[in-house]
Amino acid sequence: MDSRYLALYPFVSEASEYVGGLGFSPEKLLSSRALDSARLRGKERVIQSLTGEIEKPSPSGSEEGKILTELLSYPFARILVSCIDDQFLTRKYALAEAKAAYRLLKTQQPEFLQELGLDFQINAETYENMESHDILFDLHFTDYIKLATTLKDLNWKLVNRKMKAGHVRISKEEFARLLQEAIRSRIQNALPLSVPEEISEACTPYLAEINETLEEKKSDFGVGEFQKVESELFPPCIVQAIANVRAGVNLAHSMRFAMTSFLLNIGMTVDEVVAMFNVSPDFDEEKTRYQIQHIAGSSGTTYKPPSCNTMRTYGNCYNPDEICKNTKHPLGYYSRRMWLKNKMEKEKEKKA
Amino acid sequence: MNFKTKYFLKSKFQEYYKTAEIHIPSRLEAREWGFISFDEMPETVMRRHKSFGSRGEVEEYLAGMAPAHAYHSVAYYTYPSAPTMKEKQWQEADLIFDLDADHIPGAPNSYSEMLDHVKKETLKLYDLLINDFGFNEEDIRAVFSGGRGYHFHISDPRVRSLESAERREIVDYISGRGLNIEKIFYKKAISGDAGSENVRMNMLSPESEGGWGGRINRYLVSYLTDLASKEDAEELFTGFKGIGKKTAQKMIDILRDETQVELLRKGNMEALSKVNKDIIQTLALQAVNDMSASVDEPVTGDIKRLIRLGGSLHGKSGMRVTTLSISELEAFEPLTDAVVFSDKPVKLKVIRPFAVQMKGNDLYVEEGTQELPEYAAVYLMCRGAAEYGS
Ligand code: SF4
Repeated sequence: MDSRYLALYPFVSEASEYVGGLGFSPEKLLSSRALDSARLRGKERVIQSLTGEIEKPSPSGSEEGKILTELLSYPFARILVSCIDDQFLTRKYALAEAKAAYRLLKTQQPEFLQELGLDFQINAETYENMESHDILFDLHFTDYIKLATTLKDLNWKLVNRKMKAGHVRISKEEFARLLQEAIRSRIQNALPLSVPEEISEACTPYLAEINETLEEKKSDFGVGEFQKVESELFPPCIVQAIANVRAGVNLAHSMRFAMTSFLLNIGMTVDEVVAMFNVSPDFDEEKTRYQIQHIAGSSGTTYKPPSCNTMRTYGNCYNPDEICKNTKHPLGYYSRRMWLKNKMEKEKEKKA
Repeated sequence: MNFKTKYFLKSKFQEYYKTAEIHIPSRLEAREWGFISFDEMPETVMRRHKSFGSRGEVEEYLAGMAPAHAYHSVAYYTYPSAPTMKEKQWQEADLIFDLDADHIPGAPNSYSEMLDHVKKETLKLYDLLINDFGFNEEDIRAVFSGGRGYHFHISDPRVRSLESAERREIVDYISGRGLNIEKIFYKKAISGDAGSENVRMNMLSPESEGGWGGRINRYLVSYLTDLASKEDAEELFTGFKGIGKKTAQKMIDILRDETQVELLRKGNMEALSKVNKDIIQTLALQAVNDMSASVDEPVTGDIKRLIRLGGSLHGKSGMRVTTLSISELEAFEPLTDAVVFSDKPVKLKVIRPFAVQMKGNDLYVEEGTQELPEYAAVYLMCRGAAEYGS
């Protein structure tokens, strides 16, 4: 690939080899005056990933200096993201880089996409559709599902694909979308990098603005409201269920469902919930994961836990307290206590 | 199961293992092995985290220990005998499908009918694996479990690295779950002559198309043309809700006309546009039902599972876990071909009445002391329906 292209797709192996070959150590990347613009662009990348989209320079006509700036801004951006090491930021950043690449890829020639695919071990053949003269990409179904399984829209499901003798044919735009997925997971899985202390210190001047934007975005997204799991605010029924699980007592199916869906709804991940059940020696992780994933809903809609009425009907309402009196739903209990807690904290702050 | 019974069964199994042909899985040194012995019965104690370096070691172990059940991992590990999954270091795993009477809707009660029912399902699965997934015959191994179903093992290197969620996508394809029928029946706008309105044509995936679309086309066309070719075709068609005599006659004319049928095959549904959409939908669902296979999802998704060793005996039936090629599968009669013990009479005390069909004989036994051919005696004792001796 031409270095102009490497600057636009800095996550490909060839780009990191190229940058490696230039001989910039992380120290130099941080201190060299000449690389000031690369560092600023690196910070901009991270901020853009939070506020909108990462804008890329046009592939044609950029001069050499600009290309180098763009190219080196990427490793610097990754260092910055690693310094902050916040899951929300890491995910947002990886996604924004991947989306920016997707927008460019859609405009590229099929051969270019094909070559990029090879960097991700995706072997795609191209074919021309005789009727529409569109170019189609032909993938082995294993390559296809490795990328498409994470996509929520049902049309991506293998069952809705025209599979023949193990091969799936997709449009250029669809192939670009799968590449976006491959790029996202490559970037996300490689983060955070382990950053030595000196380097992390040297990054401090760049971090304040990112942190500020990050906090703003988190509150916009309502992350933080339910993102931080506050187990001391759980309703009595859920507390009891968790205590039972920890003690190795088998939960009734309906309670298991109520507890799992509650935890998923307040922002715990499937992995975290699986880990909660992992207490007994004969713990069957795969089976548990399967059940939890089902409740989490593969199509993206998580089941809601049952209402207090239903909980009572099944004998799962346990030891209701004062707050329960005005509660119709375990999730309502949780958000009410969350609200009370925030209110108290604010009042404390005012006094202080 | 009393001591004498355990002793008898163990010695019978031992005898079998002295000459048995064991189907050793590929890369045997990377597999974890697990065994359940007769000794602790009725408790089931699984001894796992074992590993072997060669076929000889496996055979020696089996002939020596004569376990009631023998398993190996579907996974390949760096350290298969390490005590925890983490330390074992998972590398990859064969792709497994489990077809079990317990998970197949509408399975009948009698053992032999139930096994027939499951076998039909295996043939559907096989068709999907070959035609849609493009696996080679040599890459697919069907195994009768010795109990209530069949396992399919696929060791094609391209599938071995797949993770659980990806394997479940394969299961969804095979069972037709999540299929979007609307994408298969759709309307296509064709521009008419200049100035005239756009016409929207009713379309269907062409027969040559891959995936469920092509399958549904082939099913629909063959189902409908078959009905139309019958003498009482008119009656058959008016039997559908919403189809009157006129429509029925029209459909029969269309479906008996090869050029019209050819259009249908190519995906042009206009000829059937008068037919109620619900009927077509119902037939499409029937097609999916008819061609999909009910494989057990958690088994395929479990990339660390232990699975029965081909050529070993199933300790709850005494029958052989039988590895089969596809041509063997078609002709396979589990209740004869997986029976390994002799006809020699054995005395046993039956605890509860039991009916079974083996080696073509209908056996029905009452409580009390009996003499039965060895294969049936072993079967009853393994099932816990009899004890050895009088
Ligand atoms: S009233 Fe509702 S929230 Fe409270 S313990 Fe009962 S079920 Fe749980």
